Amino acid sequence: MPYHLFKCSECIPERGKHAVIKGPGETLADALPLGYLNTIPGSISERGCAYCGAKHVIGTPMKDVIHMSHGPVGCTYDTWQTKRYLSDNDNFQLKYTYATDMKEKHIIFGAEKMLKQNIIEAFEAFPAIKRMTIYQTCASALIGDDINAVANKVMKEMPDVDIFVCNSPGFGGPSQSGGHHKINIAWINQKVGTVEPETTSEYMINYVGEYNIQGDQEVMQDYFKRMGIQVLSTFTGNGSYDDLRAMHRAHLNVLECARSAEYICNELRVRYGIPRLDIDGFGFEPLSSSLKKVAMFFGIEERAQAIIDEETARWKPELEWYKARLAGKKVCLWPGGSKLWHWANCIHEEMGVDVVSVYTKFGHQGDMEKGISRCEEGALAIDDPNELEGMEAMEMLEPDIIFTGKRPGEVAKKVRVPYLNAHAYHNGPWKGFEGWVRFARDVYNGIYSPIHKLSLLDISKDEIPVDRGFETQRMLSDVHLSEEIKNSTELREYTGGYDLLKGLKERVYPEFPPKANVALPAV
Amino acid sequence: MYCELTERERAGIINPIFTCQPAGAQYASIGIKECIGIVHGGQGCVMFVRLLFSQHFKESFELASSSLHEDGAVFGALNRVEEAVDVLLMRYPDVKVIPIISTCATEVIGDDIDGVVRKLNAGLLKEKYKDREVHLIPVHTPSFVGSMVTGYDVAVRDFVKYFAKKTEPSAKINLITGWANPGDVRALKHLLAEMQVEANVLFEIETFDSPLMPSGNHVSHGETTIQELSDTANAAATFALNRYEGGKAAEYLRDKFDVPAIIGPSPIGIRNTDTFLKKLSEATGKPIPQSLVRERGIALDAITDVTHMFLADKKVALYGNPDLVISLTQFCLDMEMKPVLLLLGDDNAAYKNDPRLKELEENLDYKLEIVMNADLWELENRIKNEGLEVDLIMGHSKGRFISIDYNIPMVRIGFPVYDRAGMYRHPVVGYEGAMLLAENIANTWFADMEHKHNREPVLNVW
Repeated sequence: MPYHLFKCSECIPERGKHAVIKGPGETLADALPLGYLNTIPGSISERGCAYCGAKHVIGTPMKDVIHMSHGPVGCTYDTWQTKRYLSDNDNFQLKYTYATDMKEKHIIFGAEKMLKQNIIEAFEAFPAIKRMTIYQTCASALIGDDINAVANKVMKEMPDVDIFVCNSPGFGGPSQSGGHHKINIAWINQKVGTVEPETTSEYMINYVGEYNIQGDQEVMQDYFKRMGIQVLSTFTGNGSYDDLRAMHRAHLNVLECARSAEYICNELRVRYGIPRLDIDGFGFEPLSSSLKKVAMFFGIEERAQAIIDEETARWKPELEWYKARLAGKKVCLWPGGSKLWHWANCIHEEMGVDVVSVYTKFGHQGDMEKGISRCEEGALAIDDPNELEGMEAMEMLEPDIIFTGKRPGEVAKKVRVPYLNAHAYHNGPWKGFEGWVRFARDVYNGIYSPIHKLSLLDISKDEIPVDRGFETQRMLSDVHLSEEIKNSTELREYTGGYDLLKGLKERVYPEFPPKANVALPAV
Repeated sequence: MYCELTERERAGIINPIFTCQPAGAQYASIGIKECIGIVHGGQGCVMFVRLLFSQHFKESFELASSSLHEDGAVFGALNRVEEAVDVLLMRYPDVKVIPIISTCATEVIGDDIDGVVRKLNAGLLKEKYKDREVHLIPVHTPSFVGSMVTGYDVAVRDFVKYFAKKTEPSAKINLITGWANPGDVRALKHLLAEMQVEANVLFEIETFDSPLMPSGNHVSHGETTIQELSDTANAAATFALNRYEGGKAAEYLRDKFDVPAIIGPSPIGIRNTDTFLKKLSEATGKPIPQSLVRERGIALDAITDVTHMFLADKKVALYGNPDLVISLTQFCLDMEMKPVLLLLGDDNAAYKNDPRLKELEENLDYKLEIVMNADLWELENRIKNEGLEVDLIMGHSKGRFISIDYNIPMVRIGFPVYDRAGMYRHPVVGYEGAMLLAENIANTWFADMEHKHNREPVLNVW
């Protein structure tokens, strides 16, 4: 078994089974670390809590909702303005956050009364918003406030409002993943089936596990619309509360992040017979086959193919430009959960980089299975990494770039490794064909930054080059490139604008005559 | 009376100004050398605070969690603290100081962090770490009391209380900066150096602005030593610049060791800096040198260029840490501006008796509203629904959308500032801080004039 025990973790031997190095010819049976177990206290793990998994990751991207946390102010403050999930209603859910402001007297005497007052006040402050989610926190869970009862009472008194309650206190589970699970199940239990949708197409999907980071959802929705498919709801990025109450009417659940949202898909299959189709919005090849799979389900393959052909012709030469310049660069792919398997193989295939390490903060063994099987031989896979192990791994692997979170990115910067924000992206969206080129451009600009190169120089002992007044990315990236690629007239750098979403908003979509003879699964 | 002191009347908070107490304790703890705090609670209480610090400083800081899970919430989680201390000590050989910082969850379940510290001192530390200097300090910061500001105040007091030991009297002073930036600490140390005064600086965080070095230093640390903390008992005086962020520690040193406590002013603006230097001079017998007269002159020269022509009569709304907001208000008034709304973001009852607020009450001849226990909705609602007109907003980044959506220019100041580059490096204290602040306000106003085509040709001949 190719377990890898970090030197810094020799004193906590239980860490020994949380990292593996995938050796030549080894299968998953040989190389799978433990996952999703309780965190070792004091290890300076990077994990968050179950409250943030529910509220911050899945709950808050819902756009037309007052998001209220029942507890002291910190949980609310801390999970506010630290994400880049946009919405097409002027980012309402990103701008406003609500805390019931639980104080000592409430801890002692209970806070249900003031919770009710809070709910009424919040609706008064935003009269156009009629939907609310209330999130339990550690404090309100421990004192035993019955949030559901208060919510039901308010809904009786105010018939035009609807309230969803998510009981997922911070301590509920080893990581944020516990909260993903709880909010999935709470939503289907409380809300799905309570609204009937307006149907505009004979093909209806729920787009699930998509959080509209820098506009990902809007990019993907554009493809679905061009195929004549109605996105009934998105769980949850840029998603509307009432649309999500009608999830039971979709013909197909199209699942993007299976780590955070497979639970609701599985329940929708059991309860309503809606099949689940896992897709990838990242990478030309995975995205193309995903669009084809969705189209195939509805018997409209030609519509998918038309999009794939158009987009590939438009953007492939630009992706190839970057691929030629990124070949063989070493990447540590250190995201939170699902991106380790979304990206592991396709960044190698399509950008030419080598994945030398994957890690996951809150993934389960299933995520590691997918991730390890898709990354290169010799790659180091780490479950629930901690600060010192991350450092040791960087020293050992000497990556050219790291894809990780904001704060670990600062650590990488200091050891002079450029980083890209794997959770929130640099210049996203990164989904879609154009988005994938934007990702490649961010990787390129990270690796070939002249400033980064200057940071590798020790002026007290290294030879200081004095022959140049400046360098450009091209001067650095094209040094060892063949003349043929260097002078290619087919390949080109990214030609899109700063904000690709603007173009989507102006698009006019085709109308397709109904294909009455297509038999769809009964719903 | 033109100046009115009110309180948020709503039960809840819409867009908070502060986070909760443990964040303040964590901010204090990263200022100490060879110190890594353990937050006893859920993992989010640490992960997000580390993120917040990295948003503001663009640096990473080390803080640990006891990682409270479900079983601990039900059966008690002190075993998690014991394990966390051991794991931390084994893996971080330089660590000497470990505050155990409580949270709402672990205070509600009644985990006895003082008891576990006694147990660890008598057990683990005596046996496994007998040759190692280790200090475990319980810090009680339940999130349902006060705010990050009181959490900081409590933690500074607890660190001082733990370490302060009377030995030989010293000519040094204690300088408790309050919730400051690296640029502020640099500016304060400069003032002390010009005055030839030595100090125990709580906390020495100039190093939070850490370089990218060929050696690859990977985290940022504060530099205040155990020796300096213990020497606080011997100082000639304690200068706590911010009443609500370090005042408790100054009072403790006064009551316990007879170290004179000089609480305030926060040296923001020319006048407050003058007062600080006068008090410093009185306490140490050191004269104010010519170099500072000149430095003051440079600042005054620059500020004069922008005040009566551009800043006079501009209406300002301010929010953030109380000492910052109050001192900035005073400086704005000296610059002929008109603060019209101050938001103090927690329920600290002491604000009602703050002499600086009383002075405002007694002397202003136009309407200034001061809202205690406020949230950012107190500002936005007044603008959106009640017709409040302001020319400028001064506050931290969490209020950025008010500025953006209502098209009001905003000066980023306080904590956190993550949507402007490098602000932690710009001091707001001392003469240099006053000058930079006035120039920042003016430049923000100038950019807004151009952006809105609002008499922008005026700047041609300025």
